[in-house]
Amino acid sequence: MQIGLFVPCYVDAVFPEVGVATYKLLKYLGVNVDYPMKQTCCGQPMANAGFEQKAVPLAAHFEDIFQGYDYVVAPSASCAAFVKLNYPRLLEGKHACQTSDKMMDVCEFLHDVLKVEKLPGVFPHKVSIHNSCHGVRELHLSSPSELNIPRFSKIRDLLSLVEGVTVVEPERIDECCGFGGMFSIEEPEVSVQMGTEKLDSHIATGAEYITGPDSSCLMHLQGIARRQNKPIEFIHVVQILAAGL
Amino acid sequence: MSTKHTKAASAFLLNKSRAQFLNQSIWYVREKRDKVAMQLAEWEELRELSSSIKCHTVTHLDTYLEQFASQAETNGVIVHWAKDANEHNKIVYDILQQHGAKKLVKSKSMLTEECHLNNYLINKGIDVVETDLGERILQLMQVAPSHIVMPAIHLKRQQVGKLFEDKLGSEPGNSDPTYLTRVARLHLRNEFMTADAGLTGANFGVAATGDVVVCTNEGNADMSTSLPPLHIVSMGIEKVIPDYRSLAVFTRLLARSATGQPSTTYTSHFRKARPGCEMHIVLVDNGRSDILANPQHWETLKCLRCGACMNTCPVYRRSGGYSYTYFIPGPIGINLGMLRSPRAYSDNVSACSLCCSCDNVCPAKINLSEQIYSWRQGLDAIHKADPMKKIISSGLKYLYGHPTLYYMGLKYAPLINRLPRNILYNRLNAWGKGRELPTFARKSFSEMWKKGIVR
Amino acid sequence: MNSKESILSNIRKNSCADYEMPDIAVAAVRYDDSLQQFIDMTKAVGGNAHVVQVDEDINDLIRSYYPEAVNIVSNLPEVTIATGNPDVVAKPQDLDGTDVAVVRGEIGVAENGCVWIPQAVKEKAVYFIAEYLVILLSADKIVNNMHEAYDMLQFSDYGFGTFISGPSKTADIEQALVVGAQSACGVTVLILNHR
Repeated sequence: MQIGLFVPCYVDAVFPEVGVATYKLLKYLGVNVDYPMKQTCCGQPMANAGFEQKAVPLAAHFEDIFQGYDYVVAPSASCAAFVKLNYPRLLEGKHACQTSDKMMDVCEFLHDVLKVEKLPGVFPHKVSIHNSCHGVRELHLSSPSELNIPRFSKIRDLLSLVEGVTVVEPERIDECCGFGGMFSIEEPEVSVQMGTEKLDSHIATGAEYITGPDSSCLMHLQGIARRQNKPIEFIHVVQILAAGL
Repeated sequence: MSTKHTKAASAFLLNKSRAQFLNQSIWYVREKRDKVAMQLAEWEELRELSSSIKCHTVTHLDTYLEQFASQAETNGVIVHWAKDANEHNKIVYDILQQHGAKKLVKSKSMLTEECHLNNYLINKGIDVVETDLGERILQLMQVAPSHIVMPAIHLKRQQVGKLFEDKLGSEPGNSDPTYLTRVARLHLRNEFMTADAGLTGANFGVAATGDVVVCTNEGNADMSTSLPPLHIVSMGIEKVIPDYRSLAVFTRLLARSATGQPSTTYTSHFRKARPGCEMHIVLVDNGRSDILANPQHWETLKCLRCGACMNTCPVYRRSGGYSYTYFIPGPIGINLGMLRSPRAYSDNVSACSLCCSCDNVCPAKINLSEQIYSWRQGLDAIHKADPMKKIISSGLKYLYGHPTLYYMGLKYAPLINRLPRNILYNRLNAWGKGRELPTFARKSFSEMWKKGIVR
Repeated sequence: MNSKESILSNIRKNSCADYEMPDIAVAAVRYDDSLQQFIDMTKAVGGNAHVVQVDEDINDLIRSYYPEAVNIVSNLPEVTIATGNPDVVAKPQDLDGTDVAVVRGEIGVAENGCVWIPQAVKEKAVYFIAEYLVILLSADKIVNNMHEAYDMLQFSDYGFGTFISGPSKTADIEQALVVGAQSACGVTVLILNHR
């Protein structure tokens, strides 16, 4: 099984340690991982802003780079969801589309494909899960709070494999943090208000860290925490899962 | 880079306690909805059925409307057809004229809001009295509803107390909700007793029987129609459903979704006029039959008008109903506004973080967020796209389309970290309004990979 | 072309999809004790429900629930304490000032406390205008859910019927629940013929 690692643009530039942790963890689990060069962005930023046609060449480029792998794995639920849900439509009649079926968020991949049951790390901290919207409602990483379906959380399942970690979740367990891509700069006041409340509800759990499968949400919350001098740390789920590697 | 919604939301949020009050009040309704939804094992099955029934009905609307109208006529009801708001208003006025009616009592109807019926009638000398408590409060204040189910949700009790003191002569300083409701009861009882006609909306029109079904908690639709000799129903053509078996599905979903109640207090079936009285139904199109032709948006016609999408919407709860430029706010309102006129109502399309929560609460399973995403794609073609967003998107397309340039960008990005604050946090930096910028890594992942550090 | 034809023809022209009517066979909620569930739900929605025992008289019960009531209106023969009959009023407005109206319900719904009341009086105003409403309901007419209720629902020739679930209420002022908005301030369901 050959895996193509997709490290989305903002993770590449701002959170390279998340990419590193993903790579190390997959390697540790015996997966054959490749990181093809010349990958950039999935195209979600412009698409959500209303310019999805500008994402088409990026989608085609993404296809060219990743189509040969068995799975494409990314440490970013929202980007994975964008590829999965939108590429077939964007590329229709323009380019073959294989990556939609192969695309997986790393947590989804660890949980559903590798079915990881044991991890070596220790992380003796209390962490609050940030259930990001696209992770929950598009990739089904956990059961959305609105639906009457059996409760599950793949993130919680994975974190429970790490020794020492205490996992909590905030009130309004999967309410949006207000990032929303360009929403964050088009509606900055609402975005920051949503983020501030989200941050406070995470802090109220007594957690030392906010963790989640989407560094984009975490980047937004971290920006607010820094501005307001709020004492909480941020860490991607995969960094906790790779603790000690 | 800001729409009318952005600006109105920003102004709304300046009053922190009011903003918090609204968010809490409405979230409380979402929680009540969750609680009753989780109590029914068949909840998701009901939503799926409701969606399927609506898909079927809306795509066979001609058949069901004809059946409905013919049944109603068999029952002695007079059925009118109105192509648009003006025709609807004129029909209602003509009926009132024919009966010499001067005072009209109304139960809540978003359709009459859509048609601006009240002003039309008031200008012609009709005394129009809203009888839902929330609607009556707003009518006395001369403002519009801020929510389709809880129209006065944005008001504090003190505001209502002051209003009633001025308009209805209630005790000065008394803003106890029970007291104020009693004052309204007495006031409205007199209006019901002296009304010449009653007008209701319709939650459902049952094709098989001709019944108009109206759901209220206050009983005001029933009071409005039990006393005056004339009952007029304003009904959107999409409100027709096949039969009682379908109705059972919808009545189980409606109140649970709207307010978290297992049922509204009153679910009234109006089939015939009272002896010696008249009942009229005005079937209103006003753009609905055009929506049917829109492959991406016809499913908005499935809407039950329960308001659940507003209650769950994190943007609605933090910006309030008045921040939207269309009279129906929230996710469904964004879509309905665009269907009414993309040029006039494109300012609401920014009011969505694409969190998709609305899709999950909708009892008719309308793909609300996908539709909002799709409207955004069309803004540029009608010259309503934000120029700054367009520049950023074009820039990103260019940057990401040229990996060499992208790698160069990554290399120099860390320099941004060291720029002085007054340059970074200028007025064009919307991110910086309430957030620190992220710190670019000294070495990007791709650079580390190239240098073999990762492996 | 008149408006009706124009609307219908526009609908025919514009319909761009064709969906089949689904089979409505819901595995809907059922209760081990639907009577108890009905009583619980009636109370939860702000009403009151009482199972009438063999040695109890409904007139005494109504009197005990509403000792202050002066105007008691009913057209039911068993309601001997009635002071007025809604079938003989000249106009519905004459029913204003009714303290208690006693009416018959035909179906009770356990899942939500609704009682189906097909109009059985000359003026339906009686169901809404009275300060308090007493509904007589036979225990064997309690069903589990709305599907069962609609399957057996009967209309009267008056052409009106309503499901009532507890008293009139509103939460329009600050989401504070207030009972007694425009219609009945209290509802008591007397459940009869319980074996």
